[in-house]
Amino acid sequence: MLRLITQPHFAALKGIKYIHLDIGQGMAGARNVGILASAADYVAFLDDDDVRLPGSLDVQVEALMNDPEAGFVCGPMMMADQEGNLTGEVTAPKSSGGDVFWDLLEMDFPAMPLSVMIRKACLTRVGLLNTALLTLEDWDLFVRIAELYPVIVADQPVGIYTKPTASSGQSSSPQARLLSHAARHQLQLFRLPRARAAPAKKRREVRKRALCRIVDTLLWNAVQAIPQRAYKFACANIFAALRLNPQRALRPRGYRKLRMILRQRAG
Amino acid sequence: MPTTSVVITTHNRPHLLPRAIASAQAAGTDVEVVVVDDASNDETAEVCRNLSGIRYVRVERNQQVAGARNIGILNSTGHYIAFLDDDDVRLAGSLDLQAAALSSAPEAGLIYGQALINDPEQVGTEMLYLRRCPQGDVFWELLEQNFIPCGAAVFRRSCLLRIGLLDQSVPGIDDWDLWIRIAAFYTVIVIEQPVLVWRKSSPTSGQGTSRADQLVKISTRLMHRKWFELQPAVDACAKKRREVYRRFSKNMASHLAFETVRAVREGSLFCARRNAVAALQLHPWSSVKLALSLTLRKRTSKQRHPD
Repeated sequence: MLRLITQPHFAALKGIKYIHLDIGQGMAGARNVGILASAADYVAFLDDDDVRLPGSLDVQVEALMNDPEAGFVCGPMMMADQEGNLTGEVTAPKSSGGDVFWDLLEMDFPAMPLSVMIRKACLTRVGLLNTALLTLEDWDLFVRIAELYPVIVADQPVGIYTKPTASSGQSSSPQARLLSHAARHQLQLFRLPRARAAPAKKRREVRKRALCRIVDTLLWNAVQAIPQRAYKFACANIFAALRLNPQRALRPRGYRKLRMILRQRAG
Repeated sequence: MPTTSVVITTHNRPHLLPRAIASAQAAGTDVEVVVVDDASNDETAEVCRNLSGIRYVRVERNQQVAGARNIGILNSTGHYIAFLDDDDVRLAGSLDLQAAALSSAPEAGLIYGQALINDPEQVGTEMLYLRRCPQGDVFWELLEQNFIPCGAAVFRRSCLLRIGLLDQSVPGIDDWDLWIRIAAFYTVIVIEQPVLVWRKSSPTSGQGTSRADQLVKISTRLMHRKWFELQPAVDACAKKRREVYRRFSKNMASHLAFETVRAVREGSLFCARRNAVAALQLHPWSSVKLALSLTLRKRTSKQRHPD
């Protein structure tokens, strides 16, 4: 949300196209307006707290030009904390590209707005970002593109992603709500023609693995949040995990880290 | 850059489409026609391939009307944008007139015109829609009811960069929502002459009216959560908002009553009950009207079938 202070500041910057929306449109709506105002053949998104690495756009444009079939290109991201210091973690897609539809549906493919460049012509075939979704509109779009187009994975890091913390107030903070929504939205995405055409067994397997992954993520972050005294966040995560897949959430393995921390404190 | 872009969205109606396209092309001299085929699975693509002078865009996955219109806007280049449904017809020269009027009024964001309502069951009877055309600051009047026929409006592309694209989360009233957002920041002007032949929807035509209660529910929600949050509404006093809401609910309830009677006539009692319940919740007075019309209907049917 742009405040009044930002308006004169950005309007004075050279070399950018500044659009001031008088009515808040949410993330998806604002990005759609940006797409409408852009004139290029390729689109990349950048959040206001993230950073693109020098030359990364050129590399991605070249990748898309060399492979006219591909719908989008994505690459590894470096992680940074709220102060902007690199944490040393790099999130990179494990898959080598091509058909990643099922990987994306299973949430096993880390495509983020920061790491992706989309061919604009794809949007005409699959539709713009869905404004009916308040979050996850990026995942929804990537799945819809991957349903029809192959995807390129490049190995050069493209950007620095500022990791949200339990208290940073970003949209990804209420993780329990976000991931529960993701679990629900996955059922909607199963209605895409390609998922529908697949055998029910395949869908069940993907669903099961995705739920396990969500539950593991929720528990891992809950356990991490406990030493930081973010108890509310941790509780929300644990309850969401129990709701989604109680069997997985009650597995003692998920709490190994917590045991370790507690033991360290005691010793 | 063409002056006006006409975005025609279509889904599985290839028999109607050529007429709409031809009318759009004849409606202005510098017109770009963008046809958005919203995942039709019939010969629509074939039909469009044989037509010249159009920009055909095919969406592979159904995006509903709002999503398809947004894609049409993305693929258009004109200064002004107009929507046209595949079953409606633009009158010749109408787009030129509206574009000229809009360019001579720089503070206006949207211009609309009157429409001729064409009942597909009664050929040759055309009724003029909208005898009194409000203009200027029409924000409050638009909140009460959507009086702008979707195909009769032309708006500036630059408006969208201030107020955003169509909202996909409000299917069926996405155009109304857009008009309200435009009216909140721009003045609206009108040319008092028919610009569109509007096909009246019937329950069998597959248009949205079969879900009248749903639409009313969505618009009531929008009214509170979005429209009343817009700047002119925030600046107004609470009394004004209450007054407008009262008139809005009255309009909606009488619309529902009308739809209920029609559903009863068509024999879909389930639909009629839903509409009646929604009308009762909104505005009790309309339910009295509703009951009256229903009893009248029963009497006439008894006269026809004495058993």
